Amino acid sequence: MLDPVVHAQLAAILPPEALLTAAEDTKPYECDGLTLFREVPVAVVLPETEAQVVAILKACHIARLPVVARGAGTSLSGGSTPDRNGIVLSLAKFRRIIAIDALARTAVVQPGVRNLAISEAAAAYGLYYAPDPSSQIACSIGGNVAENAGGVHCLKYGLTVHNVRRVRGVLITGDVVEFGGDSLDSAGYDLLALVHGSEGLLAVITEITVKLTPKPLLAQVALAAFADVEAAGAAVGAIIGAGIIPAGLEMMDQAATRAVEQFVHANYPLDAAAVLLVESDGTPEEVAAEMAEIRRVLTASGATEIRVSKDEPQRLLYWSGRKAAFPAVGRLSPDYYCIDGTIPRKALPRVLRAIAAWSEEFGLPCANVFHAGDGNLHPLILFDANMPGHSEKTMEFGDRILELCIEVGGTITGEHGVGLEKLNGMCVQFEAAELERFHGVKAAFDPLGLLNPGKAIPLLQRCAEMGRMHVHHGALPHPDLPRF
Amino acid sequence: MNAPTDLRARPMAADVDAVVGSLRRDFAERAVTTSAVREQHGHGEGLADAGVPDVVVFPHTNEEVAGIVRLCHAARVPVIAFGVGTSLEGHVAALYGGVCIDLSQMNRTLEVNAEDLDCRVQAGVTREQVNADLKGTGLFFPIDPGANATIGGMASTRASGTNAVRYGTMRENVLGLTVVTADGRIVKTGGRARKSSAGYDLTRLFVGSEGTLGIITEIQLRLYGIPEAISAAVCQFSDLKSAVDSVITAMQLGLPVARIELLDALQMQACISYSKLEGFEAKPTLLFEFHGTEAGVREQAETMQSIAQDQGGSAFQWATQPEDRSRLWKARHNAYYAALALAPGRHAFSTDACVPISRLTDCLLETRADLDAVGLLAPIVGHVGDGNFHVLVLYDPASVEERAKAEGIAHRVSMRAIAMGGTCTGEHGIGVHKLDALVAEHGEAVELMRTIKRAFDPLNIMNPGKTVPL
Repeated sequence: MLDPVVHAQLAAILPPEALLTAAEDTKPYECDGLTLFREVPVAVVLPETEAQVVAILKACHIARLPVVARGAGTSLSGGSTPDRNGIVLSLAKFRRIIAIDALARTAVVQPGVRNLAISEAAAAYGLYYAPDPSSQIACSIGGNVAENAGGVHCLKYGLTVHNVRRVRGVLITGDVVEFGGDSLDSAGYDLLALVHGSEGLLAVITEITVKLTPKPLLAQVALAAFADVEAAGAAVGAIIGAGIIPAGLEMMDQAATRAVEQFVHANYPLDAAAVLLVESDGTPEEVAAEMAEIRRVLTASGATEIRVSKDEPQRLLYWSGRKAAFPAVGRLSPDYYCIDGTIPRKALPRVLRAIAAWSEEFGLPCANVFHAGDGNLHPLILFDANMPGHSEKTMEFGDRILELCIEVGGTITGEHGVGLEKLNGMCVQFEAAELERFHGVKAAFDPLGLLNPGKAIPLLQRCAEMGRMHVHHGALPHPDLPRF
Repeated sequence: MNAPTDLRARPMAADVDAVVGSLRRDFAERAVTTSAVREQHGHGEGLADAGVPDVVVFPHTNEEVAGIVRLCHAARVPVIAFGVGTSLEGHVAALYGGVCIDLSQMNRTLEVNAEDLDCRVQAGVTREQVNADLKGTGLFFPIDPGANATIGGMASTRASGTNAVRYGTMRENVLGLTVVTADGRIVKTGGRARKSSAGYDLTRLFVGSEGTLGIITEIQLRLYGIPEAISAAVCQFSDLKSAVDSVITAMQLGLPVARIELLDALQMQACISYSKLEGFEAKPTLLFEFHGTEAGVREQAETMQSIAQDQGGSAFQWATQPEDRSRLWKARHNAYYAALALAPGRHAFSTDACVPISRLTDCLLETRADLDAVGLLAPIVGHVGDGNFHVLVLYDPASVEERAKAEGIAHRVSMRAIAMGGTCTGEHGIGVHKLDALVAEHGEAVELMRTIKRAFDPLNIMNPGKTVPL
């Protein structure tokens, strides 16, 4: 129940249709892309202006009411799961592209703008916004900043944090703060980097200046087949080790290619144990030179077949299988669980070997698709939640993968964030001294802990009480939406 | 995370004596109290304001650094990290005395992971040493601020340099750190994974924090393949505006030039005579370097040449041989000394503004007009591809009036850049000289920085008085 005093305050700030309190109106906000966690908030607010956001946060601050900011609701880690005692602040109405400066190659956008909409608007100037999470047709740029989203092109063009100049946000006190600036550097502590990946715990974002990248004159993708998965993993290291930074470097194993082939008919080599997709972009001369080098390394690494896209439709067709991997796998199995561990590239063969052995041990098929160039794994464990013991086995399988990721120097999440899902994993990955610094940062921005409480950073006692890592799982809504 | 009631910056003499005694016992000849060594550690380059530490210690390991910090933490004595003293903004001055930790003996490259394009070094490794240690791997570390600074110092000040336009700054090229916190614990941030969305980005928070949040002792660096082909070219222009406009057009096209350096007419005159450059005139000049495949480099250079010609630039003069290139870049790196030679006996200090590239012409022209009006000799150099430029202001150290004029110029350059949406520091940092500019630039956000400082260093012992003073 929303406290009547706060209700009256919010009603004075917002028009009636922008303040939802009835159960049937708030229910649609009960979860994000991680449906395992569901909570109904006491209210949902849909402000349209920064002044409204300021007033809402001030009211919540005084009333000590938790606030969970929400973009498109595509988070995969429960980053925008509501707090049952708090409100959801939806930024869905902040969807204006305020300005595009072709000379400075920047765009000023509101947080609710969809990732792909920025590239569509910039196309008229021959520019685009480089980070491209597979859900880019739906996910919002504010959510991208909150999660420091990645994507296929991040290997060459960087993560969200590398492609944002300035973020304007509102603190829980209602103070408006700007992080970063319009020039390439900014003085003092790097608060702009702190806001990236902060999962809505530090400020509510109201405006973002993104960097735009000139569209390459040409892009080509090479599709390489390998007779075993380890050789493909080693080829990834060999390409990077040769000093080539491809525009995209993705891998799919046989389980994944067989699943997607029925879906997209991209004519993948289905007898190959693994397939690499290696993209080169630039001027025609650069692409020709880089492709020749890529071919040389792939051949030396034992590729059994190499095809290079001849034109744009063929390039998109080769990619379509990769982008559709998740919906395709979803059709094969009643349930699947996606892992987001990231490892140093050198460890790829070792980790892939371990996953294959565990898949056999648990009797659970596992399809591997991942951003190989970044070392960001997305093993998809296929299971049936209705089969006794399957869910438990799946969780243990997932735990082992993440523990191995940490052991080889990696991280439990490359791009999906911690949210509610990976709080326990945080206890394994970070030591007390570092967790204390995290809490110090949080306290500097939000000492009362009202913004997105209970997410991203575990309390020290939680870690102290936890004997071993335990990772939950969940299924995805919108199964047809391309992801990862 | 409560703020302590007493944030006295100046420690009690008895506490300092006890710490110095203890360090001399533990570190023997590696804890030095001679006045020559202490004075040498009390200042960097740039303006001559110094603060002398009470003792200089030369640790060899993370654990030794942590031990020193624990000792200082218990006694509430300031700790100042020191690399090789090339900082320009007074970062290393011991304003309140205390312990200077000289990291120059922590100078080992710990690992090189060629397949992952990264390496891990101790903080005291210098930029040139990293590249020497990478010989034979086909890799290099590109960040080049000119001075042969330590990697620890470059991370602390978020240094960039001549090729940031292509490779980014320390912000983009530090993957992880080992940091000794204010209470003397050893924390590893980031890691070797290329991306992580777990937890706040402490790595980038420590990068650029100028020793005020902790002491960086190890750095995981991103490396790059040495390009197959490199060529450099020089182009001269009749006026500053044409030179800068060429750069803006190139950036707008996204031309991946590895370096674009601007020297104004006065600086070019200084470099010609100091570095004995032949075949050049004292005119606004751009130096370019192109990295890539043979074909790619040729293509980039042709595009750049046609852009420059549209602005009335001279024909390119090429330096394709490594010796010619290094002569050219040596002349650029010696710009500071060349400027000093314009007026022997004068001191120089450098401004460090950075503006959005679309405002660069305005900012440079207004600044040039300001300099001419004041009447001090002040050449301009710039890493113009990223909007960052330096005015080297020459002044007579004996003249109070000239120093005031010089400081006035520096202040106005910072404020002009901020008003244009830029920053008061592209790469040198805040130190003690730009505290007011930081507030002008960030307003409310400075209060957040201060709260973070309090959370990380509640006793205010880490390089007190710098960057974000409590």
